[in-house]
Amino acid sequence: MDKVNRDKDNIITLAIESSCDETSAAVLRGGRKILSNIIATQIPVHRKFGGVVPEIASRKHIINIMPVIDEALSQGEVELKDIDQVAVTYGPGLVGALLVGVSAAKSLAFTLDVPLIGVNHLEGHIFANFLSWPELKPPFVALVVSGGHTSLVHVKDYNSFRLMGQTRDDAAGEAFDKVARVMGLPYPGGPQIDKLAQAGNPMAIDFPRALQEKGNYEFSFSGLKSAVLNYLNSMKLKGIEINKADVAASFQNAVIEVLLAKALDAVRETGCDTLVLAGGVAANSSLERRLREITEKNNIKFYFPDKILCTDNAAMIGCRGYYQSLAGGYSDLYLNAVPGLALTDL
Amino acid sequence: MPILAMDTATMVSGVAVADNKKLLAEIIVENKLTHSETLLPNVEKVMAMAGVTRGDLEAVAVSIGPGSFTGLRIGLAAAKAIAYGLNIPLVGIPTMEGMAWHYPMPGITVAGFVDAQKGNVYTAHYKWNGIAFDETRKIEVVSLEQAINLCGEINTPVVAVGDMAEKKLTKMDDLPDNLIIPPQHMLMPRAANIAMAGLKKLADGVKESVMDMEPIYIRKSEAEVLWEKRHNKPEQVENK
Repeated sequence: MDKVNRDKDNIITLAIESSCDETSAAVLRGGRKILSNIIATQIPVHRKFGGVVPEIASRKHIINIMPVIDEALSQGEVELKDIDQVAVTYGPGLVGALLVGVSAAKSLAFTLDVPLIGVNHLEGHIFANFLSWPELKPPFVALVVSGGHTSLVHVKDYNSFRLMGQTRDDAAGEAFDKVARVMGLPYPGGPQIDKLAQAGNPMAIDFPRALQEKGNYEFSFSGLKSAVLNYLNSMKLKGIEINKADVAASFQNAVIEVLLAKALDAVRETGCDTLVLAGGVAANSSLERRLREITEKNNIKFYFPDKILCTDNAAMIGCRGYYQSLAGGYSDLYLNAVPGLALTDL
Repeated sequence: MPILAMDTATMVSGVAVADNKKLLAEIIVENKLTHSETLLPNVEKVMAMAGVTRGDLEAVAVSIGPGSFTGLRIGLAAAKAIAYGLNIPLVGIPTMEGMAWHYPMPGITVAGFVDAQKGNVYTAHYKWNGIAFDETRKIEVVSLEQAINLCGEINTPVVAVGDMAEKKLTKMDDLPDNLIIPPQHMLMPRAANIAMAGLKKLADGVKESVMDMEPIYIRKSEAEVLWEKRHNKPEQVENK
C-alpha cells in the first residue's frame, strides 16, 4: 500500500528515548499498539556513584543506541522500509544523553526520508496512559511525578494542554532520592523508600507540607527534604537511634498527602471526571494505592500506566509522537536537544 | 564509490561527499551554531550539492576522536544511524589522523595538539608512507609543554595541527626550531580528509561495527576519576 494513503491507524512510528539513564527504542502501529518497546537500563552502572553521572550516561547511550533500535525493529517484526515516521525525545533531560537519541533519530528520518517528530518527554509520560488504557480519552487531569518533575496538567484534548502548576524547587522524585541517599539506601532511592515505608508508621513524625492553600497547584518539596535531613542529623547528634521505616513512611506520607490534595482540587476545578498519574514515581505503590482510594471515594476515574510504562521508555514517546503528528507537529532537521524543556500550555 | 564524511570533533562542523578519491562537495563551518543543529541540515545540503542521493551512498566515514565528547557522539550517532539506515559500511578515522591528511608528504611528521582541558592536549604523531599515514606516536593526553617537547625530540620538521596549535603555540616564543605552525585554516579538521582517509581504510578492508562502535575518548569521565581516587585505585588512562 502507498505510504501516503495508508490508514492512520496503521502508521508505523519508530520512537527513540535517551533523556536520562535508559536507552530505549519502540515501534508502534497507530497511536496505541506497541509492537516492541526495548529498554536498556544503566541503573547498575550509576549505582556506585549514588546517582546518574551525565557523561557516563552519554557514553552508554552511544554504545546502546543502535542495538536497541535494531532489537525494536526485529521484535516489532518491521523493516526499515516500513517506518512511516521517527519520534524522539528532545527534552527535558541531560543534554549529552538527549543528543545521542536526537542525532540518531534525525539521521534515520533523513536516511529513510520520513517525517521527524520531536517529543517532550513529560508529555510522553502522560501519554503512557493511553498505551495501558485503550478506553482512556481526554479530557482529564494528569499528575506528573518523576525524578525531575512534579506537575499538574489539564489535558483538554490530545493536542491541547494547560499547565496548572508545577514544582517551584525540588521535584518529588528528587526529594525521594536525596532522603534515601542520606539514609544510606542504594540508588535509585524512590523504590527503596517505598519498600521501607511499608513497615513504618506514616504518622510517627510530623514533617511539613508546603503551599497548602486551595487553588494553588504549585509544589515545593525542598522544605520537606530539609526537614527530613535535619531530623536525621539531630537524632544522630543526640545519639538517638532512628526507626528508618518510620522516617520513610512519614516522609512518603507527607509527599503523598500534598499530591493527593492538589490533584483532587485540580480535578474539581476543571470539572473533569478523570485523573491520570504519570512519570517514574507513578511506580510508587503507596502513591498509586492512596490515589486509587481517594478517587474512588470521590467518584473520579483513576488511571495509571503499567509499571514498565512508568519508567523512561520509547513507547510513550511514540504514542505522544503519533498524536502530535496528527496535528502536524513535525520537526525539521535543525531539531536540537532542549535540556530544560518545560510542560507548557498547548 | 560515493562516501559521506563527517567531522564534529572540534568547533569545526564538516561534511563532505567524495567519489573515487575525488572530492565532490564539502561544507566547513566554524560559527556559533551547535553541531546538533547544523550537522544533518549540512549533510542534506552537501549531498544535494554533490548531486548524490541517499541511495547512491556506499559508505560513511566519521571522525572518532579524541575531541569534544559531545561533538564526537553527535557525529558518531549520526554516522551509525545513516550507515544502519542504508545498510552500508562505516569507518572511523582518528581526529588527528584526519588533520594529518592536510600534509601527505614524505620527510615530515605531523603532530596533533587538540584541547584536552586543564592545560592538557591530546597528541599523536603521524608520518605519510606514500599512500596513507602511519601513527608513529600513539594517541595520549599530555601537558602542552610535554607535547611541545616531544616534537623537539624528532629529527624531521614537525607540522602542528589542532585547535591548540592555533590557540597556544602561535603565542609562544621558545618553540623547538623544527616545529611549524600552519595558518589556521590548514590546522583544523576537514571532512574531505576524513573522506579520503575513509576511502583508503575501506579499500584496505577495514570495517567497523555499526552496533557497538565508540568514540576514542582517551580520558575517563571526571566522576570515574574521582571515584577511583577515593577508592585508592591507580589512575589509569584508557586506551580506548
